[in-house]
Formats: sequence, structure tokens, C-alpha cells
Amino acid sequence: MVSLNAVLLVSFGLFSIGIAGVLIRRNALIILMCVELMLNAANLNFIAFARHSGSVSGQAFALLVMGFAAAEVAVGLALVVALYRKRDTVQVDDINLLKG
Amino acid sequence: MEHLLETIGRNMFAIFGVMALGSAAFMVASRSAVHSVLGFLFAMLCIAGCFLSLEAEFLGMAQILVYAGGIVVLFLFVVMLVEMSKKKEKEVFQAQSRYAVVAVLFGAAAFMGVFRKVIFGTASVEALVLRPELAQGLNVAKQNAQAVSRGLFADYLLPFEILSVILLVALVGAVVLAKTERV
Repeated sequence: MVSLNAVLLVSFGLFSIGIAGVLIRRNALIILMCVELMLNAANLNFIAFARHSGSVSGQAFALLVMGFAAAEVAVGLALVVALYRKRDTVQVDDINLLKG
Repeated sequence: MEHLLETIGRNMFAIFGVMALGSAAFMVASRSAVHSVLGFLFAMLCIAGCFLSLEAEFLGMAQILVYAGGIVVLFLFVVMLVEMSKKKEKEVFQAQSRYAVVAVLFGAAAFMGVFRKVIFGTASVEALVLRPELAQGLNVAKQNAQAVSRGLFADYLLPFEILSVILLVALVGAVVLAKTERV
């Protein structure tokens, strides 16, 4: 039997790695992947607490989060492609039009 | 041999969790974007394994289908489209990475300090059993997919329908954003 604490620790680690990746990487694609990783960490918590409380609400919501993540990836990748067409780069440092 | 198999079966979640953490770290640290996507794919598969070992079979399969089947392929296509440019990127990490890592570690330590009792407490996860008032005479908890569909189509029908509208909007928005100007 898996203990709740192990699940929480794994999801905590995944979220931390995701947030570190968002902060330190320059490539917009990898930043998007790190956001996906953070959503998955949240999903893991949803499922763990669904089992802990004996109701399926958590699993249903994890499925909804998965759908939202798919929509987010579609729009995000379209934005990256449009950005690449306009500015010829996907490095977030080079996209500083609003810097003033 | 049987003893070893039994131990592996009991610690399936820990094995998949450690592999997911390792491949996520590889994803963040690797210099090539294609390697990052492969690390992302492996992390998603390991998280699906975590879902399966938590007895959320339907979600594990949905994770494999949606992420490994759809999103990773989409990422790979965009990497091929975008990364093949002439000028190579000089720097992979941000200049202020060191401070960012320190900040994340500090946040992690603060989180651990606050939720120490919850995380290292003694609570354990039981198998998914529907409460009787949720099951309502139907024998739904026998199958995970049945239980999830009961939650999705009975209790959370409105969020589910809103999700379908959001997916439609995202579809149209992605097409509009990515199409070329001349048409």
C-alpha cells in the first residue's frame, strides 16, 4: 500500500523541478514543457487525495485538468510558432519588445 | 526470485516516482531540445505508471494516450520546425539561474518546514471505495472507469461541458495564431 506521504513528496519534487525549469531555461518550448510537468504534479496530488478520501471527485478533476493542459499546449505551441515567424527566435531573452 | 518480484510489486510507486523525478531533472538540464522532449516523454510515462500503481487505471491510460500519444508528438514537431535555425543558441540557461535555483530551494525548504507534519506524518492511502451515498445502489466502484464516469457525468457535468467549449476555443485559436498571413 502506497503511503500518502510518498505521493506528496514525489509531486512536490516534480513541481519544484518544473518551477526551477521555468525560471532558468531560455527556450520557450522547454518552459512550456515545465508548465506541463507542474500540471502533472497537481494531477498526482488530486489522485492521491481522491484515494485518501474515498471519492472519485479527484480523479474526475484530474481528467479535466488533463483536458485543460491539452488546450494550453495547443495554444502555447501556436504562439511559439507565430513568434518564430515574426522574430526568428524562440529564446525568451530575445523577445523584449515591452522592455522600454 | 519471488521475494524480489514481490518487493518490486510493493514498491512500484516509489520506483516510478524516482524515475519520473530523474527524467524531469534530465529534461530541465539537457542542452539539446530534442533530448528535453525525450526526457519529458519518459517523465510522462513514469507519471502514468504512478497513476496505475495508485489504482487510477483509467487516468493512467488517458495519460499515456494524451501525453505520450499527442502532446509529445506536437512538441517534437515544433522543435523540428523551430530549432533547425542557422544561428545556434549560445546560452542554455538564464544569466540569473543561480539566484533562481537558490530561490526555489529556499521555497522548498520553507514548504517542508510548514507542512513537515503532514508530509512525514502517518496517514496512508486506502484503496478507492465509493462512499455509499455516491454509489446509490449502482455497483460502480468495481471498475475504475465506471467510478470516474460517475463522477464526471453526474457530479461534474457542467465543468465537463465547459471543458469541451474551451477545447473548441483553443482549437480555433491555435489555427488562427499559427496560420500564415497570405492565406
